[in-house]
Amino acid sequence: MKAVHYLNQFFAGMGGEDQAEAPPTRLEGAVGPGRGLAADLDAVEIVATLACGDDYFAEHEDEALSALLTMLAELAPDVLVAGPAFGSGRYGYACARLAAEAAARGIPSVAAMHEENPGVEAAGAAYVVPTAVNVAGMRDALPRLGALASALASGRELGSAEEEGYLVRGFRRNYLAEKTGAERAVELLLAKLGGDVRTEVGGDLDRVEPPPPVPDLSEALVALVTESGCVPQGNPDHLQSVRAQGWFRYDLEGADTLASGRYESVHGGFDVTLANEDPNRLVPLDTVRGLERSGRVGRVHESLYTTTGNGTPVVVATRFGQEIAGQLRDAGVQAVLLSGT
Amino acid sequence: MAWELASFSSGLLREPESIEGVDVEIVPPRSPVRVTHVLDAVEPRIRPDGRPAFPSEGPAGAGTTNRLDGVVVLACLDFPGEERPLHEQESIVDLAGPGAELTPFGDMTAVVLTFKPGGGGHVAIDAEARRATIAVAEALARGTLDAEPEDVERFELGAADESLPAVAALIQLSDLGPLYIQYVYGLPAGEVGLPRAVDPAEILDGAITCGEYHWAAMRNPTLYFQRNELVRTLYREHGKTLRFVGVVLMRGYEQSAADKQRAAERAAGVAGELGADGVVMTTDAGGNSHTDVMLTCRACEQAGIRTTVVLAEETDPESTKPILTDWVSEADSIISTGNVEELVEPWAPERVLGGDLLLDGTPAGQAGPIPVRNYLGAANQMGQLALSARTE
Repeated sequence: MKAVHYLNQFFAGMGGEDQAEAPPTRLEGAVGPGRGLAADLDAVEIVATLACGDDYFAEHEDEALSALLTMLAELAPDVLVAGPAFGSGRYGYACARLAAEAAARGIPSVAAMHEENPGVEAAGAAYVVPTAVNVAGMRDALPRLGALASALASGRELGSAEEEGYLVRGFRRNYLAEKTGAERAVELLLAKLGGDVRTEVGGDLDRVEPPPPVPDLSEALVALVTESGCVPQGNPDHLQSVRAQGWFRYDLEGADTLASGRYESVHGGFDVTLANEDPNRLVPLDTVRGLERSGRVGRVHESLYTTTGNGTPVVVATRFGQEIAGQLRDAGVQAVLLSGT
Repeated sequence: MAWELASFSSGLLREPESIEGVDVEIVPPRSPVRVTHVLDAVEPRIRPDGRPAFPSEGPAGAGTTNRLDGVVVLACLDFPGEERPLHEQESIVDLAGPGAELTPFGDMTAVVLTFKPGGGGHVAIDAEARRATIAVAEALARGTLDAEPEDVERFELGAADESLPAVAALIQLSDLGPLYIQYVYGLPAGEVGLPRAVDPAEILDGAITCGEYHWAAMRNPTLYFQRNELVRTLYREHGKTLRFVGVVLMRGYEQSAADKQRAAERAAGVAGELGADGVVMTTDAGGNSHTDVMLTCRACEQAGIRTTVVLAEETDPESTKPILTDWVSEADSIISTGNVEELVEPWAPERVLGGDLLLDGTPAGQAGPIPVRNYLGAANQMGQLALSARTE
């Protein structure tokens, strides 16, 4: 199996800071720390070393990546190894970016650097093996880097970050536990009853705090937003009934009500029969117009924003919300009636 | 000797109007077969005393019930398009290939029933299919009545050391209207006065059946109640590490904020009446029901009952962003039953049963990668299986 190794100008033996402007270049076989790494690879040969000056990469990132990825594509390695970059920020960033782009193109990739190197954040789906902060940690780093690179080249399924010795990337991945969920749940509960609180899902969970009340609704421009899959009859823009790919904005054209036969729900997560008899059950335009007439609501925004909230991954729903909120803010909307289903 | 023969009107011959026919296939374990449009999985059961194995009157969980080990009835049905209020929620069982690792069904002999829907609407079609599935499951087990069992398990909660922590299972059942219903003694979960405490053996003995056809992976098919791993684990640990004080059934998918809060507090109250120090809380489907989980978890913790919840994750595998649709800070002890968005490698089944096309129109035998969410019960939130997710 073939490995390609990425180094900066210094570790590739091209020179120090005076060569930091060097553009990407391809060297045959293992170079510098690659010779030590070669001894720690299992059935994997370093066929080429790619090198680039740290300054060049920092100042010409797109060109540098493009050239390096072209070389990488020609070499078609089983694994890309980058670094170790230790605590060097520019070098670490270059290693991480190249590894991330290679990983995104299906080449198993691993970089090595100190866990506080800013490059760690740029590694995407590539693996990062932690090292000491300076080059004194080379001897310790290479066997661990070699082991993970060999595992990646072999195509075997990797174990957890802890088992394999890479930094947690934050991706949630399925695996078969040794015990059933029920057995683990009972164990976790008994531990919690004993004062030892543990969890398999935790940390950084999103909380949406309720905003403060609108100071004066009678002065407010109020928008109607819904995830009920409410669309003009016939669903002209093909809003999905499940796992929506986007959201739509429809002009209410001054209507006083969402008339049956003019609007419908295409939501696939509930029985829409009753909703379609009276689409105001989805989006209460009739009631809000009444409040507008009586002066309790200043004015109703001219457009309805709609999507289908059904099986939408949280990250996608968050994006919809941000996009819609941006438009509402630009339109001067002060309050939103968001109807969920 | 005298004999009486009573005659009745042919009007009693009731032809099912909602099901036009059914194909039956018996498939050995690990056959290269994909089964599509699967509504439910049921273990064949029969009671030697003649009472129904899936009773409409309780209580179940007393006397003796016979089961056919290693056999599953898979009921398949593609609701007529215009009658289907749910869309693209395909439910697959693979008996071989990578998907077979996700569920227990590949190791079983599958009796696949493919119903051909007739008229009368999806509610009637579903009712007829569920009735027929249960009837087949009982008929298949009839052979056990004249045979010797290989093994007999006894489920009984004897006295246990009072110093052991008292633990209850809090099982949430779906009822979101037609095609989203789990049944308690044949009635929708929303119509039987939940929450209430039941004897754990009732769960294992056919009291709960599934007519909930939402996200396939997050469903709890009938077989998962019959073989409920949580209840069985708690029986096993009773008197060793804990005192199993019972099961609380509660309804998920309450429809208003007030009803959700009330249901949460009442469920916590029933667990409190059982004397529970801690509960394991399960659920079915996601989104709406996860809010019920979180409110109930909070209510239990506020009542001094320590709570562990069992949840599936719905997160983009390429994202490192937060992964739950709802969360309360009291939910500090969560079991993951896996990420339903992860893709399962494709394979080429030799046969497809249930229906040749997936609901999105793809030929089922040549489909590409299929997400975990389409595999029946693969990420069920009762902890039946070993699938989990971890941060890498």
